[in-house]
Amino acid sequence: MENVIEVEGLRKHFRTAMRQRRVEAVRSVSFQVARGEIFGFLGPNGAGKTTTIKTMVGLIRPTAGRIRIQGGEPGKLSVMARIGFLPEQPYFYDYLKPQELLDTFGRVFGLPAALRRKRIDALLAQVGLDHARGRTLRKFSKGMLQRVGIAQALLNDPDLVILDEPLSGLDPIGRKEVIDLIASLKARGKTVFFSSHILADIERLCDRVVIIDRGVVRAEGTLGDLLGAGRSDKEILVEGAGTGDELAALPGVRRVDQIGAGVHRVVAAGDRSDELLRYVLDRGARVTGVTEQRMSLEALFLDRAFEGPQAREAE
Amino acid sequence: MTGAFGGTFRRIGAIARNTFIEASRNRAFIGLGIAAVALVVSSMAISGLALSDQRARVLVDFGLFSIALLEVVIAITMGVILVFKEVDRKTFYVVLTKPILRVEVLAGKLLGLLAILALSLVAMGLAWVLVLWLRDVPLPSDLVQALVLSWFQAALMTAIALFFSAFASPILSGVFTFGAFLVGSMVPVLEELLTLKKGPLATNPAARFLAESTVSLTPDLSVFNVGKELILGIPVGWGYVGAAGGYCLAWCVLFFGLAALVFERRDFN
Ligand SMILES: Nc1ncnc2c1ncn2[C@@H]1O[C@H](COP(=O)(O)OP(=O)(O)O)[C@@H](O)[C@H]1O
Ligand SMILES: [Mg+2]
Repeated sequence: MENVIEVEGLRKHFRTAMRQRRVEAVRSVSFQVARGEIFGFLGPNGAGKTTTIKTMVGLIRPTAGRIRIQGGEPGKLSVMARIGFLPEQPYFYDYLKPQELLDTFGRVFGLPAALRRKRIDALLAQVGLDHARGRTLRKFSKGMLQRVGIAQALLNDPDLVILDEPLSGLDPIGRKEVIDLIASLKARGKTVFFSSHILADIERLCDRVVIIDRGVVRAEGTLGDLLGAGRSDKEILVEGAGTGDELAALPGVRRVDQIGAGVHRVVAAGDRSDELLRYVLDRGARVTGVTEQRMSLEALFLDRAFEGPQAREAE
Repeated sequence: MTGAFGGTFRRIGAIARNTFIEASRNRAFIGLGIAAVALVVSSMAISGLALSDQRARVLVDFGLFSIALLEVVIAITMGVILVFKEVDRKTFYVVLTKPILRVEVLAGKLLGLLAILALSLVAMGLAWVLVLWLRDVPLPSDLVQALVLSWFQAALMTAIALFFSAFASPILSGVFTFGAFLVGSMVPVLEELLTLKKGPLATNPAARFLAESTVSLTPDLSVFNVGKELILGIPVGWGYVGAAGGYCLAWCVLFFGLAALVFERRDFN
């Protein structure tokens, strides 16, 4: 499949103000994004997400590594003409009204006046800012600015949208709207790359993710790969299956809690759960519930980012 | 607006237009503009009722001097923050990531400011003419030429401000640019000192070298100052204005080019 984004061996060092200290914001980042994907770029604050994204859109130059965006170099006119970018906590000319800001950018894109007006009207309606046309951006709330940011990122009807923390600073309704918008972009055949340190929404949204921490990629893959069904645990409620210690000694059992007289909650590895169920049923016990404990991205994230072998080796 | 450069002009135009709108909606700038016009009018209106020929000349000379100086002040104060403000407020993130060259952004910012300077000049010039007319002072014949020349000077100061602000803070850039203005205004004086057969510039090689390089590295701003000609009724032809424009343009291209070189390589964090 064709790659829309290729990042290879990216490194970026900053020198602090007095050239005293070198900050290694990005140490080793590589990934590819295929056309039509929703791609999640995950990592805690300070992981190097924004730095990576800034190199992808040509705002900063990498110290080392190679980046290709739709086959071209970041910053090239033909490349920038086909992408949309939402910076983290976007800032705009606050003396303009939203339609004036979009009009300025529309001129830069070279959209003819009639098309400009049509697109701007449609986008302001789409991001729910129709009512705010009379106000300058100075009077906009953080969430409203985020919406303006999304509108300006879509103004050129781009093939690829790069969004830095698009869900931060929004209230729950706003988050839901942006999530729906991202899903609708995918439906229209666009590629969406977005970063986040908040995981709950990404779980539903992304086809593939990269997890980054302290400037290094810790994990990459489809959500299926990373949260593989085979590896997820099962929670089984059993009654009359013996003592907790007996249950704990069975193969595949991770933990046992007594939750009532003769009732235990057993957490077992997914691939051993059938075996376990057969065993307790054979002993005449009653199974009152089985639920899959799908490993959450959160758990994976903590696992990979903070306790992974690479993290320790990098110290 | 077609062909290979059509896109360039269009993009520069979009940025220039926005820079102009920014100033026109900036209350501080509008206040400053009104104050400047008021200053020009009042300072000239106050000076006595009856005017001798002598005082009429002063009125012409002082008026032109004030206007030219105010233009330079606007050029420097707005020039040093032209880029700084966008970086500081992070508004460049969404501009530089559009299909536009960095040099085009810089050119648009510069041209927008030049348009603001032209507008301020027209406002102050009209106020000046109004005062001269009210005081029955005959209008100098080459008044428009003189005003155009003061705009050239302000344009050049803008380019120099842009150049210094590429690597210095706004305040430091302002100090440097104003220094360049003072030195540039004194280039003829320095040149005359260099022709002297006596004094430190003749005897001390280091001092001479310093003075010579200052003279050759600093644009001669006296080229744009025709106050004396105006008073004495010496004509300032459009040919001269054109030549001065060429001189201004050459220096502007140099300083702008250097600023663009730094801007092109810069990281935007
Ligand atoms: N201009 C800079 N100078 C020095 N350090 C920086 C600069 N920009 C980012 N950093 C540092 O680089 C690291 C990564 O930052 P960033 O890319 O913003 O992370 P994220 O977006 O994942 O939160 C942080 O430790 C941050 O402090
Ligand atoms: Mg960030």
